[in-house]
Amino acid sequence: MRKIKKIKTIKELEQSIRNQIHARKSEKKPVLTVSAGTCGQARGSLKVIRSLEKAIKEQNLEDKVKIKVTGCHGFCEAEPNIIVQPQNIFYQKVQPKDAKNITSQTIINNKVIDQLLFTDMVTGKKVSNEKNIPFYKKQKRIILGDNALINPTDMDDYLSIGGYRSLVKALSGMTQEEIIETVKQSGLRGRGGAGFPTGYKWEFARKAKSDTKYIICNADEGDPGAYMDRSLLEGNPHRVLEGMIIGAYAIGAGEGYIYVRDEYPLAVEHISLAISRAEEMGLLGKNILGTDFDFELHIIKGAGAFVCGEETALIASVEGKVGEPRQRPPFPAVKGLWGKPTNINNVETWANIPLIIENGADWLSRIGTNGSKGTKIFSLVGKINNTGLVEVPMGITLKEIIYDIGGGILGGKDLKAVQTGGPSGGCIPKEMLDLPVDYESLTKAGSIMGSGGMIVMDENTCMVDVAKFFLNFLRDESCGKCISCREGTRRMWEIVTDITEGKGNIGDLEFLGALAKTTRDASLCGLGQTASNPVLSTMRYFQEEYEDHIKYKKCPALVCKEIVSSPCQYICPIDQEASVYIALIAIGKFEEALNIIRKDNPLPTVCGRVCHNPCEIVCTVAEMGRPIAIRALKRFIMDWAIEKGYQSPSKQKKQKKDKVAVIGAGPAGLVAAYYLKRMGYKVAVFESLPVLGGMLTVGIPEHRLPKKTLNFDIEYIINSGVTIKTNKALGKDFSIDDLFKEGYRAIFIAIGAHKSMKLNIPGEDANGVIHALDLLKTVNLGKKAELGEKVGIIGGGNAAIDAARVAIRDKNCEKVTVLYRRTRKEMPAFEEEVDNAIEEGIDIQFLVTPIKILTENGKVIGVECIRMKLGDLDESGRRRPIPIEGSEFALELDTLIPAIGERPDISFLTDKDNLKISKWDTIEVDDETLLTNREGVFAGGDLVTGPRTVVEAMAAGKLAAESIEKYLTGKSLAREYKLNRPSLYVEPVELTEEEIEKAERPKMPKLSPRARKKNFKEVELGLSKEKAIKEARRCLRCELKTKDGKKAIGM
Amino acid sequence: MIKLTMNGLEVKAEEGWTILDTAKFYGIEIPTLCYNEGLSRYGGCRLCLVEIGEEPKTKLVSSCTYSAEESLVVRTDTKRVIEARKMMIELMLSVAPNSKIIQDLASKFGVKQVRFKIRNEECILCGLCVRMCAEQMDGRAIGFQNRGYKRKISTPFDIRSEECRLCGGCIYICPACQLRCQGPQADTAVCNACLTMDPTCLDFYDDLQCWMYDAGRCGTCVREKTEESNNKKQTQKSKRKEKNA
Repeated sequence: MRKIKKIKTIKELEQSIRNQIHARKSEKKPVLTVSAGTCGQARGSLKVIRSLEKAIKEQNLEDKVKIKVTGCHGFCEAEPNIIVQPQNIFYQKVQPKDAKNITSQTIINNKVIDQLLFTDMVTGKKVSNEKNIPFYKKQKRIILGDNALINPTDMDDYLSIGGYRSLVKALSGMTQEEIIETVKQSGLRGRGGAGFPTGYKWEFARKAKSDTKYIICNADEGDPGAYMDRSLLEGNPHRVLEGMIIGAYAIGAGEGYIYVRDEYPLAVEHISLAISRAEEMGLLGKNILGTDFDFELHIIKGAGAFVCGEETALIASVEGKVGEPRQRPPFPAVKGLWGKPTNINNVETWANIPLIIENGADWLSRIGTNGSKGTKIFSLVGKINNTGLVEVPMGITLKEIIYDIGGGILGGKDLKAVQTGGPSGGCIPKEMLDLPVDYESLTKAGSIMGSGGMIVMDENTCMVDVAKFFLNFLRDESCGKCISCREGTRRMWEIVTDITEGKGNIGDLEFLGALAKTTRDASLCGLGQTASNPVLSTMRYFQEEYEDHIKYKKCPALVCKEIVSSPCQYICPIDQEASVYIALIAIGKFEEALNIIRKDNPLPTVCGRVCHNPCEIVCTVAEMGRPIAIRALKRFIMDWAIEKGYQSPSKQKKQKKDKVAVIGAGPAGLVAAYYLKRMGYKVAVFESLPVLGGMLTVGIPEHRLPKKTLNFDIEYIINSGVTIKTNKALGKDFSIDDLFKEGYRAIFIAIGAHKSMKLNIPGEDANGVIHALDLLKTVNLGKKAELGEKVGIIGGGNAAIDAARVAIRDKNCEKVTVLYRRTRKEMPAFEEEVDNAIEEGIDIQFLVTPIKILTENGKVIGVECIRMKLGDLDESGRRRPIPIEGSEFALELDTLIPAIGERPDISFLTDKDNLKISKWDTIEVDDETLLTNREGVFAGGDLVTGPRTVVEAMAAGKLAAESIEKYLTGKSLAREYKLNRPSLYVEPVELTEEEIEKAERPKMPKLSPRARKKNFKEVELGLSKEKAIKEARRCLRCELKTKDGKKAIGM
Repeated sequence: MIKLTMNGLEVKAEEGWTILDTAKFYGIEIPTLCYNEGLSRYGGCRLCLVEIGEEPKTKLVSSCTYSAEESLVVRTDTKRVIEARKMMIELMLSVAPNSKIIQDLASKFGVKQVRFKIRNEECILCGLCVRMCAEQMDGRAIGFQNRGYKRKISTPFDIRSEECRLCGGCIYICPACQLRCQGPQADTAVCNACLTMDPTCLDFYDDLQCWMYDAGRCGTCVREKTEESNNKKQTQKSKRKEKNA
């Protein structure tokens, strides 16, 4: 080992700094800088270093290249990374196998390896220079930046970047007052959280009268998700030491402590090494650099109590007592460690000191805002693309941090909130993204700067759950001395937990607010005083979410397990117990599965084929792979039922006198009629068409929903005893008053939305323009449609795709072109339907909109279109299409089919009917009860909502039946909201390892495109029994994870 | 001498006095629970909260631990103080509903309900016993264990301590586990008997003649509170208020 020469004077130190700087400058060899902080090591950087060493040895490059092992470079997402100096090439996510490549390509041939470069997510281009990476570009890395330059275990390396120059300056040219004045002038505020001006704090400690004074470095970094202090101690320990030595000199302290978490072994190792090197060199100890200044530094390892970050608790802990805060005043500056004046600063604050001394107060105060100077390091974590430590100038907006530096939200989701300041901080909603990040603004927004944790939350985060998480942390970490904090956090956690389990009461919010405020007011230390922030800030910005949990027993983000139970059932508008029938299929009990399905759904055959399956979108399995094929499983059971002939429910025995009229035999009307009949009412269904089923019959083509299968469901409903009156139209054949006169006591109107919307472009009345719904109706009623050879469809919904696929099946038709104004991503039609259409040879053109229908002699000959591009988001959350000027083109057609949506046809209504109509031609009802403005008259389905899905219409029918029953029995119509629970808990099946590995969603067997040509045979064929059982066994059975579920299966 | 203002009154405190010491000296009542003259100051029960400073920058501090400072402005009975105090009592009551001392505090400060789930733990971790053992009995047999909601008082390693001489000092001083409330049990966790009781003897005599009332055991001649007596109490209260003001 090299003998260390002690530096005896300031001059000598100056000289060795100069020597080291010179040595660095004259170094000609390229350097491979490998990040090896704790996170880098966890990602395997040590292995990368070993392979690099091996590669260098093998290629005899020992004299041509140097490896430098540094601390963390801040970009966690890209760990382990290598910066090749002097070119500053940034290689990310380097694997040991890349080592050879790097040495042979980059070092020998001076070539950049493309696949190791970072890809800019906006431009999609590879970035080679570290400085051009968006993550680093907007940062101001005055503190963290040096991490990438030095080996933290080598003091000479620190000297070579000008380290300890500030100490030279402070000891040789500045009085202690001058140093404090400089720190004061710089405007530096404590980086630990509270933001007290550092210079003033030093002044208090300096002015305190005592022979013995102490300084402490607070490295008890306890916030979940914050690790900048660790990174500094690991990556640049001498910077912190230098700051502390200067501070000790200015304050007049002879001894100092670094209080660091024991959970940071690498930080402890590096800082210990730095201290012993500094001692050997003579920068710590007696008569430092020949002056009469003595300073000793010790390390105290904290046992990991969050409260020990509070200064008085920290002092107690250093003294060997229980880490509990005490009353201030007296402040530590007056009476601190062992009763002596003590100055405590956070790691990042100490690291700022050498920079301020070297560059002057103005240099720092030029950065930042009026009240907050300099930079702040944040640990940007959570649902963000570029996770990492970011150092930004104070006053930067949240938006810049999250989108420019952080690269936006993971998976392209929506941002919901940003949590700053750790457990004592608060949540800032996305509406406040333009908030400048500084001490004052964050406090005003109900959060705090804290030590710099910044947790990004996406739309799938439940804010009540977030509050619960932090409260759980705090009830654990409160020291427990003050009843306000100990019981306060515990009780708040209890109340919030109840809310997340659907056991909340309306009064809870007010009570919670009062308790939170008292906890804040009455507690002794910062922990208790800020412990309410997670609750108060989420309640302030997300009150609705709390109310949803309490009043409606809903968790909009689908996070709270006790409320959601199984997401498939939770999300289903008609409350189908999907996980239960799936479980029954898995054990081969098909009849039981059928009964579970039919309990909540009188149209299961329809749903098994055409439902928009919201259940599959939220399926938990989808988080890891593809969701359970729930719709296909339902169809499997129904196909099985048809085959076995399971039909007709037993006729309802109990009979009630009251008569109910249902107008419209679509899904809403039929479902309402069925449930009313089951309740015992005398139900009559009036339908204007000669057939039943509404849109199901006339709107959905045969190849998706064969009439035979649809009739299976309709028969089932008729068999329940409902009276059917077809060819009876409201307004033409009877009026609402007529029905009341005939003795009907309640009326449910559900006549759907059957009027096609117009394009509002010239030429729309020309011969050859057929609206999609008219085409579907014509074909479905068995009549002949008059289509030409070249058919154009306008729109991107299911009706457009259905019309296109009906058109291509027509004998005359040769080519079908669908024109849609956005891209496939925004298309509302089902994905598999679009796939099917493309398979069938339909041409879909995206980003195109018609501007004029070209006619000749009153007949369509084509359409003039314009191309579009996507602009900003509109209110539906989709990007708005904008026309590109000069991109007009003509398309030759003989039939044009607009399919841009439908509206209810309310021409049947007269003033006498006295029903309130909205400006969208829909009937206005009370959302919770479906009651219209007329007593006894209810309305639902597309007539009320505008065109929606089958299952939503069915849900309206169900709700109408419920409301009508309440109305007829004289009960209050108000809805009661209950927790989502299945009616039955089925024992889970056990899967073998092999089965788990091979489990995947089955493909739906289909007719080949060839077999589909020019016929209306059903395209999808349904799952086989084996496939269905196999798929059902894949279900994770979320409903068994609630308390009720666990209890039911004896867990 | 330190000059400070207390409830608008200029008062003087001696060096080393806390706000509570000063208030006591001037006869201003501040409720306490974890405070005991013979023991060190703790500040855990947060009952002795007072509001210090001037609007808008006021804050609540525990008067038993906060030293009297020159020109400090103290208010002992603001809305904020009273609301916080009531919440502290409610919190204590929810863990030790059988304690007479806490029930009496509830009565006195009008805490009429406990909205929390009751946990009959009979300990509010006020730390009186720990300090009693260490400071008066020189025992150090018991202490706090754990932190946060898992905090409890016990002997080292939860086994009988050699240091313990079974002097009973801890039990003597405990506000929660020993002295039980003897009043009629209410349906809720709050007894409030003292609030609903009206000594009948006052109908016959001008002064309360019975020592049982002072001892908190009045009840033999108790009757249901009537509207009339309610009003009487109200006027008495308002009179007292006027006097204080």
